[in-house]
Amino acid sequence: MNRVAITGLGIVAPGGNDPSEFFDNLVAGRSAIRLLSVDSTRLKTRIAAAASFDPRAHFSAPRLRMLDRVSQLALIAAAQAVESAAFNFSDDERRTTGVFFGTGMGGAKTTDEGYKTFYGEDSDRIKPYTVLMAMNNAAAGWIGIEHRLTGPNLTFSVACSSSAVAIGEAWLRIRSGTAPLMLAGGAEAPLTPGTLKAWEALKTLASEDPIDPSASCKPFSRDRSGLVLGEGAAVVMLEEWEHAARRDAFVYGELVGYGLSTDSAHITRPTVEGQARAMRLALDSAAAAPETIGYINAHGTGTQANDAVETAAIRQVFGACAEGIPVSSSKSMHGHLLGAAGAVELIATILAVRTGTIPPTMHLQVPDPECDLDYVPNAARTWQDIELAMTNSFAFGGTNAVLVCRRV
Amino acid sequence: MKTTFDVLRDIMVRDYELAPERLQPETPLADIDVDSLAVMELVFSLEDEFNVTAGDTDSAFETLGDVAMYIDRLIAERDAGLDGDSPAATGAAARE
Repeated sequence: MNRVAITGLGIVAPGGNDPSEFFDNLVAGRSAIRLLSVDSTRLKTRIAAAASFDPRAHFSAPRLRMLDRVSQLALIAAAQAVESAAFNFSDDERRTTGVFFGTGMGGAKTTDEGYKTFYGEDSDRIKPYTVLMAMNNAAAGWIGIEHRLTGPNLTFSVACSSSAVAIGEAWLRIRSGTAPLMLAGGAEAPLTPGTLKAWEALKTLASEDPIDPSASCKPFSRDRSGLVLGEGAAVVMLEEWEHAARRDAFVYGELVGYGLSTDSAHITRPTVEGQARAMRLALDSAAAAPETIGYINAHGTGTQANDAVETAAIRQVFGACAEGIPVSSSKSMHGHLLGAAGAVELIATILAVRTGTIPPTMHLQVPDPECDLDYVPNAARTWQDIELAMTNSFAFGGTNAVLVCRRV
Repeated sequence: MKTTFDVLRDIMVRDYELAPERLQPETPLADIDVDSLAVMELVFSLEDEFNVTAGDTDSAFETLGDVAMYIDRLIAERDAGLDGDSPAATGAAARE
C-alpha cells in the first residue's frame, strides 16, 4: 500500500487566511468568535466565527455573482493548497487527480436568499444562478474547473464529518494506488439569518458569554452551553509518497490513518461505542498502538453531550494512557465549521505535530467530572515529541471520522 | 434623456464593475462573461427600471444592443397596451 504525503495546505478560516496565521492565532489563544452583524432582529444568536477575507480581492464582479460564499472560500483555500504544493500538473496528472470535498449545507446563503425572494417578498424573480450556487457540489465543481482537474470530483455531505470523510476517502484512493494526487478538504458558510435561526431552533448553540462574547464556546468546561457556528474552508494536497519524493516536494506531514464508523443509534445523540470504534479503526489503519498518539485534536464542540461522550470514548480506546495524552479543542477559538471542521482541524493537527506546539482549549474554567482528561486548558503547550496525532470529527446522523497524521 | 442602452450600461457598470468604454451596443455578451443566466438577471433589473414585464426570455441575445432592443420592444408594447408576456412578442423581440 502506498504512503500518503501531505504536500499542500490551504485555509481561510476564522482567525487566519493562511495556515501559519491561523495556527499562530490558535497557539496565542486568540478567539475569532465575535458578535455578529446580521440583518435580522429575529435572531437571538449574536455570536459566530466569521472568516475575514475580501472576496473582491480574489474574484471579479461577474464571477462573484455566480459564486456562493461557500465556493469563494473553497476556491481560495484550494488555490493556496495548490500553490503551497509548488506543483505544476502535467496533462496526465490532471486526468487522474481528483477533488474530494466536504460540505454539510452547500450554498446556504443562496438557498436562504432564494426563499426570502419567493416566500418573504412574494416575488418570482429567483436569481437564475440559484440552483448552480446552492447545490452541494458547486464548490468541488469550481475547484475542478479552476485547476482543470478531470479525475473524480465527489462531494461528501455528512454533516460535521464531511471534510474528514472527504480527506479520508481521498487518502484511500492514493493508498490503494488508484490516484497519485488528490485535492481534498471542505467548506461551509452557514452564517445567514435563516441558517442561524434553524440552528437556534435545534437548541445546540452556545449562549453568549455575558462578559466576553469571544469566550462563549467552552469545550469540556462544566459551564459549556453549546457550539458556536463558524465559516471557512480548508484544503490539503495529498500525494503518493514516491511521487512527492521524485519531485523533491516539501512534505508537511504524512497522513497515516483513517477510521470511519456510524452510530446508527440516534440522529443527534452520539455514542461512546461509535466514536471509540472510529478511533480504533484509525489506529489500526495507521498500524499505531494507542500509546504512540501524542496529541488528539478533539471534536470538542462545547455541547454537553459531545464533550462527555468523546471523553468516555477516548478513555475506552486509550485506557490507562488516556491521561497522558494532551487533548484540545481548537473550536473554542474558531467555532464549529460543520462540514469544513475536519479539514480545518486536520491542518491545526498537522501544524501542531510539525511545530511540537499544542493549541489550547480556551475558556475552560470550570472542571467537569465527566470531562477529566488533559485538555491543555487556556494556554498552548510545547510538546516536542509528537510523532503521531489524531483528529476527530463526529456528525449528526452518526458518522464518525477520525484521521491520524505523522510528523515527517 | 438617457437611452435604454445608457441605462443598461449603468447597470452593467454598477453590478459587473466593467469599464463603460468596454460596453458598446455591438459588444458581444460572451466577451464580458455575461451568459444566458446573467442576461436573465440583467433583465430583472431592467424590468424595474422601465416598469415593463419580460416574458420567458430565450437566450438568443448576442450583444448588449440586442438586450437594449428587447427592452425597447417591451416599452413599446407597454405603451401600446399590449401584453409583454405574449409568447409571440417575446420570441420575436429576442430574435431580432
